[in-house]
Amino acid sequence: MGNRRLDPVTLSVLSGALSGIAEEMGAVLIRGSYSSNIKERQDCSAALFDAEGRMVAQAEHIPVHLGAMPEAVRAVMEKGPEPGDVFVLNDPYSGGTHLPDITLVSPTSHGGEVLGYAVTRAHHSDVGGMSPGSMPSGSREIYQEGLIIPPVRLVSGSEREGEYVEDVLALVLANVRTPDLRRGDLRAQIAANRLAEKRLSELVERRGRETVLAAFEEVLSYTERRTREAIRGLPNGTYTAESELEGDGVTDGDIPVKVSVEVRNEEMSIDLSGTSGTVAGNVNCPLAVTRSACYFALRVLLPRDVPANAGTYAPLSVHAPAGSLVNAARPSAVVAGNVETSQRMADTILLALGEATDLVAGGQGTMNNLVIGGSAGGWTYYETIGGGQGASAEGDGPSGVHVGMSNTLNTPVEALELEYPMRVTRYELRYGSGGGGRHRGGDGIVRSMELLEPASLSLLTDRRRHGPPGAKGGEPGAVGQNLVNDETLPPKASCELEAGDVVTIKTPGGGGYGARN
Amino acid sequence: MSGSLRLGVDVGGTFTDLVALGGPGGGITTAKVLSTPQDQSRGVMNGMRTAEIEAAEVVAFAHGMTVATNALLERRGARTALVTTEGFRDVLEISRQNRPALYDLTRDRPPALVPRELRFTVRERTGPDGLLLPLDEESLREAVAALREAGVEAVAVCLLFSFLHPEHEQRVGEALREALPGVHVSLSSEVLPEFREYERFSTTAADAYLAPRLSAYLASLRAEVEGAGIPAPLVMQSSGGVVELEVAARNAAACVLSGPAGGVVGAAYVAGLSGYRDLLSFDMGGTSSDVAPVIGGEALTSTEAEVSGVPIKLPMVDVHTVSAGGGSVAWVDGGGALRVGPHSAGANPGPAAYGAGGEEPTVTDANLFLGYLRDGAELGGEVVLRRSLAGEALGHLGGRLGLDARETALGVVELANTEMGRALRVISVEKGLDPREFAMVAFGGAGPLHACELAEELGMRTVLVPEAGGVLSALGLAVSDLRRDYVSPLLSDLAGVDTRKLEKAYRKLEDRAAGHLDAPVYDRRADLRYRGQSFEIPVNANGLSSPKELASRFHDAHERRYGYRMEGETAELVNLRLVATVAVERPELREAPAESSERTERREANFGGEWREVPVLDRAGMGAGSRVEGPAVVEFAGSTCVVRPGWRGEVDEVGTLVLKKTGAEQSFG
Repeated sequence: MGNRRLDPVTLSVLSGALSGIAEEMGAVLIRGSYSSNIKERQDCSAALFDAEGRMVAQAEHIPVHLGAMPEAVRAVMEKGPEPGDVFVLNDPYSGGTHLPDITLVSPTSHGGEVLGYAVTRAHHSDVGGMSPGSMPSGSREIYQEGLIIPPVRLVSGSEREGEYVEDVLALVLANVRTPDLRRGDLRAQIAANRLAEKRLSELVERRGRETVLAAFEEVLSYTERRTREAIRGLPNGTYTAESELEGDGVTDGDIPVKVSVEVRNEEMSIDLSGTSGTVAGNVNCPLAVTRSACYFALRVLLPRDVPANAGTYAPLSVHAPAGSLVNAARPSAVVAGNVETSQRMADTILLALGEATDLVAGGQGTMNNLVIGGSAGGWTYYETIGGGQGASAEGDGPSGVHVGMSNTLNTPVEALELEYPMRVTRYELRYGSGGGGRHRGGDGIVRSMELLEPASLSLLTDRRRHGPPGAKGGEPGAVGQNLVNDETLPPKASCELEAGDVVTIKTPGGGGYGARN
Repeated sequence: MSGSLRLGVDVGGTFTDLVALGGPGGGITTAKVLSTPQDQSRGVMNGMRTAEIEAAEVVAFAHGMTVATNALLERRGARTALVTTEGFRDVLEISRQNRPALYDLTRDRPPALVPRELRFTVRERTGPDGLLLPLDEESLREAVAALREAGVEAVAVCLLFSFLHPEHEQRVGEALREALPGVHVSLSSEVLPEFREYERFSTTAADAYLAPRLSAYLASLRAEVEGAGIPAPLVMQSSGGVVELEVAARNAAACVLSGPAGGVVGAAYVAGLSGYRDLLSFDMGGTSSDVAPVIGGEALTSTEAEVSGVPIKLPMVDVHTVSAGGGSVAWVDGGGALRVGPHSAGANPGPAAYGAGGEEPTVTDANLFLGYLRDGAELGGEVVLRRSLAGEALGHLGGRLGLDARETALGVVELANTEMGRALRVISVEKGLDPREFAMVAFGGAGPLHACELAEELGMRTVLVPEAGGVLSALGLAVSDLRRDYVSPLLSDLAGVDTRKLEKAYRKLEDRAAGHLDAPVYDRRADLRYRGQSFEIPVNANGLSSPKELASRFHDAHERRYGYRMEGETAELVNLRLVATVAVERPELREAPAESSERTERREANFGGEWREVPVLDRAGMGAGSRVEGPAVVEFAGSTCVVRPGWRGEVDEVGTLVLKKTGAEQSFG
């Protein structure tokens, strides 16, 4: 490593070409997919890895997906992948994040040589388990959350010439509530992975194998350089912060989250010791998700033009005690760890770093996960709802957006009503919910939906008791609220709904920045 | 005498370009004059004087402009209100709830065209199956009163499910027009009768926001030119076709890409005269580059454009714009990598070579240093390019990278090419088009400088450099067909549609078109997807023997675009579209043979790191049959063409320099 230096021009050229490939993968996946989740909300991500399993380029979609991909590639590399293979996995304890995120990893080869890996990860609308949508709020072990897929071949390169391994596909489809959608979504994922291989081959033909491989090295070391430079800009010291998650779906009490960030010269280490042990409910995180949250917090500190790849992670070390909330082991339930605990970790790390540098106030800090599935089966609707972003020195916080580890789109009201037996009765901003201050936090959202037939509801939300914190004397944002008709539900809840019931989610406002005049 | 000239006038931010076709001898008359932002019609009249054109000679006048584009970019449209369904006041502001930059937590979406205080609601609701809550007249009266109070110039009426059930919007529109005469009203069910509320509302808000400015502009232009005895102008739309002025004024959102559309149509026209019909157009200017695909002589259109952060889902020429132009600034980032753009030095201070205070090297400086542009060339009679200044700036920047001026200049050109090459890939490879089967049409001030190298990068073997490359948009206007687009939502399984029903639906659209245009030609299209998908693919629906045939075309199109087909799945028909056109007379262009001797100078230019003395030809001294062998430079009136080693060219009968990669003649002709 390091002996094949590229000139600064070729480096910029190839860095652009690699992220172009990742972006095209993402576009093919979104356009070809079937789940509302993927096609409307774009809850999916795509990236390229080198042969050593380091991410070299990504399409900028969902932060929690991207940061947790290296584990997926590592898990597949252990299985001896061959050209033409496409591996599928979702096991959080073997490369996955939570079960609904199905990941495909395939070697990208040229002339029989594996040059790297293409990865797509998409949140499928159902992977079986105890409740429709596979986002149960009350799961106590992972087996209740859906079908667990360890890294296995979905397409075989050697034995059946790029055909599906039908047995595996049949097994997956037999375990999910909406098999037709799964088949279509997997098809779109495979198409995206295949495209990556084709494009990378074209690049190798145009630029030469040596140059492309050298570019892998160099984009990583370039990004690492930029990351170290940014860390060097922070004062040395140890910065700490504490926060909490509001219940785990089994018990409703607060669960402490503690972080300690040490900045030393050009390296950073994040220690999550003092955070709660593994809990009975499903807010636990596998280590991959914890790392992902730490990467995100670090990436936010970097200048905008730094490419996102494994080079960012090199100067960062993460310590999460084994057996804790943030480094759980099988069979802990994890479905909400990916969506809620990851948010809280990223928030809290940024809260701690707010002592070292000027950062935005707290955003809504939750994804407001809402799953509604028909009692008679046949349909599941999953949505995450935006809220207030924190204000900053530069101005007021944006309103009605996704903050932190998610960035999915909404399901349009008209698409929703054409597809599901529900009617949206309100979808507006929650005026005044942003925290006050010199700059105001962004406002949250109110979304109300009336059920037209019986269904079951599952909610995984947070910041219903503790508002997102302000920065530099700014006030906290308003807490969110979950309602069925007039009855308030806890942050994590599930219940059965009748036709005519109205579910209302009010999302938190962002924290304010600076003291009010 | 009766007129025979077709006039195309493109009004841009800085220049107004004019082209007249159809004069005696197949000639083309051009003029470039300064735009007159206070009253653009003056610029138009100035152009005619400069080109010495008499009003009586003009038989048709087509006009393209950036009025709508700029009003949107600079957010200088009308004070616009929104009337929407109660409970959904903020759809425009929430947009799709995603943030624009993943890791930049301070950045927000561009502000909504209608601010919170101008968004009003009425009590009403329809759903997929029809009426749910009748329109409450009391709430309508309140909204009207509030609107009167607010003193707005335009109102967008956007109700949920109006694409299926437009009655409530129609009633609201009627009440508004009655109560607020003089206020422009746009209904979402008329502007864009398609599902997905945010995109429909956004398109409609843009329509309302732009309409008052555009109508005022067009009314004054009309008065001015009619006063001068010139026919009323036809107006270029984003789709690449022109419409009557009144129609354009009523469909403002359809005009936002009026300017770039002219360029693509112009490129398609000149290339067609040379016998090329499958093209990638490449227009590189000072701050940005526009690229677009043309297939079979027709500019491709799509309905997925976003202009200045505002989704506008109307048919638009599929132009992809990147911020790489001659003025793009080169810099070194914090990690020690050389970068080019997106920041541009603009016209002031401009590139370092202008000597007007610019110290950062630009793409133009690199081209000058490498010998592609002429040291001492005058631009617009004011600025003189000085190679020594370019060299200093490049050397200074390169010093920070351990590169000399030459290496830096080569790097800057290569990086600019990468950015543009990526844009060309987006409009070709990513749409399932193989660039190797296309010819590139290079124009704009800087297009011909970079064309050969870009073509090599994409495996393209033919580059066309039209003589009128500096005014190609205006040329496109002069030859644009009259065009109207129609859409009819028809959400259903393709299997459940029989040939008769399909025919009837298209006939209905054709009847509407026949009421608008005189004996139009119809082009039927359909948007399809597999049931369960959300994105549709446009498919040619002409000459169908059965819906089955449409399905098979869709499977093919899906495979071409995404790499796979699913014949076992249900294909769903989402929209029927009709494009109705009336062709205009397209005069021939003719290039005279070269006069006696061509002027040829020589100068040093760098190719691949090596300095070589190469011939420099003056395009004005060349004519039909003149040849050039790379490496060489050809200087056009408004641009310079670099003919790289391995390329060979000839000026053809219509005056276009056709460049070929050596050894490629057998596959293209």
